[in-house]
Amino acid sequence: MKRHLNLTVNSEPRQILVEPYYSLLDMLRDELHLTGTKKGCDEGDCGACTVLLNGVPVTSCLVLAHSAHDAEVTTVEGLATREGLHPVQQAFAEYGGLQCGFCTPGLIMSAVGLLEKNFDPTEEEVRYAIGGNLCRCTGYTKVVQAIMAAAEQARP
Amino acid sequence: MARFEYLEAHTVRQALSMYRRHAPNVRYVAGSTDFLIRSRMGNWNPEYVVNIQHIPALQRTSFSRRNGLRLGALTTVQTLQDHESVQTHYPALAAAAASFAGVQVRNLATVGGNICNASPAGDTLPALLAFNAQCLSTGPEQGEQRSTALDEFFTGPGRTVLEPGELLTEIRLPRPEPNTGSLYIKHSPRGAMDIATVGVASAVTLAADRRTCKDVRIGLGAVAPTPIRAYAAEGILRGNEITPESLAACAEEARNTASPIDDVRGSAVYRKEIVGVLTLRTLERAVEMARDGTMAFETQRRLAVQAAF
Amino acid sequence: MTTEHNVLGRSLPRVDALDKVTGRATYAADVYLPDMLMCKVLTSPRSHARIVSMDTSKAEQVPGVRAVITGNDFPDRYFGSGAVRDRRIMARDEVFYIGEPVAAVAADDEVTAQEALELVEVEYEDLETIVDPLEAIREGSTLVHPDMPNFEGYGFAMGGNNCTLLDADRGDVDQAFRDANQVFEETYHSQAINQGFLEPMACAANVEANGRLTVWASTQGPYQVRAQLASVLDIPLSSIKVNAMELGGGFGAKLRLAFEAFPALLAMKTGRPVKLINTREEVFTLNGPRLATTIHLKTGVTSDGQITAREAHSVFDVGAYLGAGPNAGVGHALGAYDIPNFRLRSYGVYTNKIYVGSYRASGVADMHFAVESHMDSIAHQIGLDPLEFRLKNVVKEGDANVSGASVPANGLLETIEAVKEKMSLPRKSEEGRGIGISLGEWRSGSGPSTASISVNEDGTVSLLTGSVDISGSDTSLAQIAAETLGVELDQVIVAKRDTDMAPFTGPSGGSRIVYSQGKAVQMAAEDARDRLVGLAAERFGVPSEALSCEGGRVYVQDNPPQSLTLSQLAAASLTSRSGPIIGMAALSSMPYAPVFNTQAAEVIVDKATGQVRVTRFVQAQDVGVAINPMGVEGQLEGGAVQGIGRALSEEMQIDPETGRVRNPSLSTYLMPLAIDMPAIENILVGVPSADGPFGARAVAEPPGFGPPAAIANAIYDAVGIRIKELPLSADRVLAALQGQDGDEYHIDVEALKKAETG
Ligand SMILES: Cc1cc2nc3c(=O)[nH]c(=O)nc-3n(C[C@H](O)[C@H](O)[C@H](O)COP(=O)(O)OP(=O)(O)OC[C@H]3O[C@@H](n4cnc5c(N)ncnc54)[C@H](O)[C@@H]3O)c2cc1C
Ligand code: FES
Ligand code: FES
Repeated sequence: MKRHLNLTVNSEPRQILVEPYYSLLDMLRDELHLTGTKKGCDEGDCGACTVLLNGVPVTSCLVLAHSAHDAEVTTVEGLATREGLHPVQQAFAEYGGLQCGFCTPGLIMSAVGLLEKNFDPTEEEVRYAIGGNLCRCTGYTKVVQAIMAAAEQARP
Repeated sequence: MARFEYLEAHTVRQALSMYRRHAPNVRYVAGSTDFLIRSRMGNWNPEYVVNIQHIPALQRTSFSRRNGLRLGALTTVQTLQDHESVQTHYPALAAAAASFAGVQVRNLATVGGNICNASPAGDTLPALLAFNAQCLSTGPEQGEQRSTALDEFFTGPGRTVLEPGELLTEIRLPRPEPNTGSLYIKHSPRGAMDIATVGVASAVTLAADRRTCKDVRIGLGAVAPTPIRAYAAEGILRGNEITPESLAACAEEARNTASPIDDVRGSAVYRKEIVGVLTLRTLERAVEMARDGTMAFETQRRLAVQAAF
Repeated sequence: MTTEHNVLGRSLPRVDALDKVTGRATYAADVYLPDMLMCKVLTSPRSHARIVSMDTSKAEQVPGVRAVITGNDFPDRYFGSGAVRDRRIMARDEVFYIGEPVAAVAADDEVTAQEALELVEVEYEDLETIVDPLEAIREGSTLVHPDMPNFEGYGFAMGGNNCTLLDADRGDVDQAFRDANQVFEETYHSQAINQGFLEPMACAANVEANGRLTVWASTQGPYQVRAQLASVLDIPLSSIKVNAMELGGGFGAKLRLAFEAFPALLAMKTGRPVKLINTREEVFTLNGPRLATTIHLKTGVTSDGQITAREAHSVFDVGAYLGAGPNAGVGHALGAYDIPNFRLRSYGVYTNKIYVGSYRASGVADMHFAVESHMDSIAHQIGLDPLEFRLKNVVKEGDANVSGASVPANGLLETIEAVKEKMSLPRKSEEGRGIGISLGEWRSGSGPSTASISVNEDGTVSLLTGSVDISGSDTSLAQIAAETLGVELDQVIVAKRDTDMAPFTGPSGGSRIVYSQGKAVQMAAEDARDRLVGLAAERFGVPSEALSCEGGRVYVQDNPPQSLTLSQLAAASLTSRSGPIIGMAALSSMPYAPVFNTQAAEVIVDKATGQVRVTRFVQAQDVGVAINPMGVEGQLEGGAVQGIGRALSEEMQIDPETGRVRNPSLSTYLMPLAIDMPAIENILVGVPSADGPFGARAVAEPPGFGPPAAIANAIYDAVGIRIKELPLSADRVLAALQGQDGDEYHIDVEALKKAETG
């Protein structure tokens, strides 16, 4: 039976009715219709469902929705502000870090997670940090360039 | 997707009592990274899930030079990777963590889950074996506690000595010996997001002369029904001088210890071959580290995954 | 040349970039409709069996289940994705592979649908199974489809399990072999490969109040889906509207009807919207991948390294149905070389496993691995530098290609030179490190294309085409329109389209969009421009030739201030004699325009483990003109990395007894990750094509062919072993290093020749 769950999604406190067996990913998509977070495998292998859970990147298909009570969840929809895109989003657009776009939200969230921890990553560190994100279209070259450029931008 | 009811425990006692109430159709989940996969594949169909992730007592991690490392069962793999004391004193464990999946899974997966899941290929396990880890657990009936050496913990693929409902609470690693070096290397086709085809952790302690092997412990992953220690191989090196020949002989013996199988990730023949290679490489690096003190974590990380040499 | 352009040739961000970085782009699985049901599909657990009985009553009684369908609920019809109609959309009385759909359920939610599936009872009676294509092609083998000769569309083949045979001949091959100084024979094998698109296929369907069926699909070919859906449901094509949603990768897999018919029929039965989203496992087991290919090559060479003749026999496994035409790869058995005498044969062979699908130039990619490895192998055996040997034999302008057409001007030699320079070739290799090269050819794709362009009253331009954006093509098309009309890219609105709204267009595949569709857009934009200029000419009282359309205005060349903005003209057009400004164009095919590509891989081989790491990857391609260089590079990089995956780690492991896919997940089917890939280095060579828009050529297919051969050749360079089977996995490399013979596959060429003549 569905039960109430309280958490914060993209800075908004929410109370949601969710099945006990739902993943955080299914909750975001099916209950909140926040469809920016993608389901590429539902097995933790592709990274398309990456969101920030209390500030760190996780594959939301591997999280039980109810375990995320009182947590703060940030999805790709929560990155842009009134002032504009997040620097990582901006850089992906400018540097061609996306093609079909299906991996993009997950990659962007992983990149945001990296830059929160390390604002001056080397190319190798960037490649390591997105090691959990599959992209079939870009070959990663421009994705890495975009993240490096975003880091440069974001540096104080 | 499969249906189940969700329960959440906030203390160990509560978890145990929830378990008792719903046994046998109940399962603990911590990071749920193994659980949700198995549940979706239809392998695990509990009626009730007891989430232990929010039990503060299982989240603590501490290190002291006297007592060594204490890891609450809920310590995440990412924490193992980032923890300065782990990087400094138990580098093989930090390297194992660094070779584990991707950051999104490391942020969820717990070391307790890795142990209880008892996969022969579990990445933290060879390293924990090489550090003589002890597992503290609490039984479901009277809350009785016991401590089991990790080496005696696994009884088969996916099977451990834990009784139904027994909760793994803490993992203890003895204090680090001086002049010790250690490294874990994982062989897998890709540099991330792969289950080990073979994983080897070696820890070497040198005698004061820095030439004699005072102690060595080697943990092997994915080459037997459970992660194992390569005791015979260790015996070849322990107490003897470190030479290219003695290291090679030790590695050769580790190779003989392995009894791998064929599966989608590699053939038995190939695995056996790789055990020898990785044992030698981890030993060489461990000796280097034991002599020179530390190794930058970046370097350990780079070395940890064979694909990215 | 590019300097004259304003919008063309600039690396502008994609027109859909904002939607995608904010998560707002809508894919088929993102469609949520009120009262929507979820669909799940039951598949066959048997390799080949008769369905004795089927009982859905228990499933139907599950609370929340709204409908259950089986093959009997569909009209009694066969359809085809390749040349022959050999397939039912859902099995009726026989199943031909593990994974073939046998029933589907629509329920209130996915879990309920899944639970109901488990209650569908099917009784099977096993039939004989054949899985190995090399065995299946032998005379007297167990037959997959005994009634094959009756299939509609069945043409010339040898019978048995061989459903198609393609051939090409020129000259006297046998004599040429006798005249050659040396003859080389080798057999190559490439593995089954999944397209690996990140978006699992999904589809939603709904019956509208007026009785028409709306389908939201994840497809490269909305018009193909519409036609095939009409056929399998036996309803008029005009009663279906297909919305091609944002596409999360397809690479050929989504060119045709997949399972859209299941939610469609369930929607028709229930009167409610129904959605089906594939699991990742279903991506591997429900939808046709590229299957294994074995290729035997025989090449005659003169003492000075001139190739005199080539014979190629290739056996393409097509699985249970001809889901695509992979053996068209036969035409590429010559490679990018001028070979006077040849005999090329390719066989498509039925087996009991998932049917073959398209994937980024299927067939060609397999052939390319064989041909370019073979070339390297011959060069080493006759003591020539591999590059030099290739240069002696490459096709030149004016040579006849495999089908006899004259090869037009192209940039092949420039691509070779560019790679040579960037990699400092020839370079002395060190033990354990090596460099390998490969050359490839592709033809810019053709096919029906349409476009219409209207100029809005504010001077912006609306572009409507029926093509699905699979490669950033919307951006390129918009750039072509903007350039032609002299406006900025952000002045072009690319319409989201469906099959009701946009005119027919061929599917987005085979690298045809920019070349063919782009041409249609250019022509439509020219048409619109001519109308704008005509209108201005009327107003100014000057001949059209005296005017230019640039910078958002039409002006008098001799007196630029005398001008009208597009906005003024569009507004004026509303009341003009010829009416609002709209440009249109349609074409059915485009002339032959080859695309050449040269690639070089630098590898390190770990001799103790057999692990191969690609440390550098350089490629040069003749793109004609790069409409959006960033987009072109992106295509090249993505293609190269897919090829590197195919070279090193990807393989659909198929059980040799049952044909079951053994590794249907992304943790066992290993696609490249960023951490393992080098930054791809590209060189864009520009020898404009005669007919493409602004001289553009196709881009996307060739970069994917080359990596397996380039890497295999680099391994040879590094450690002196020649591996003829893909993937070049660590265990295979180590076994070869230890001296084990890897030749696992054999084609009985003599038997094939006899069967053909006999
Ligand atoms: C995409 C992906 C990649 C992965 N990559 C790797 C990898 O590279 N290396 C690797 O080793 N593993 C990998 N795994 C496996 C998995 O992440 C690990 O085994 C992880 O450590 C499990 O921890 P968890 O907390 O998520 O366990 P859970 O899924 O919560 O639990 C796993 C099992 O352990 C039991 N359990 C958990 N904690 C306790 C406890 N304290 N007491 C008693 N029983 C308990 C549960 O009941 C359950 O049976 C991967 C998994 C996924 C999905
Ligand atoms: S959907 Fe979660 S990792 Fe693929
Ligand atoms: S852009 Fe398509 S998968 Fe990454």
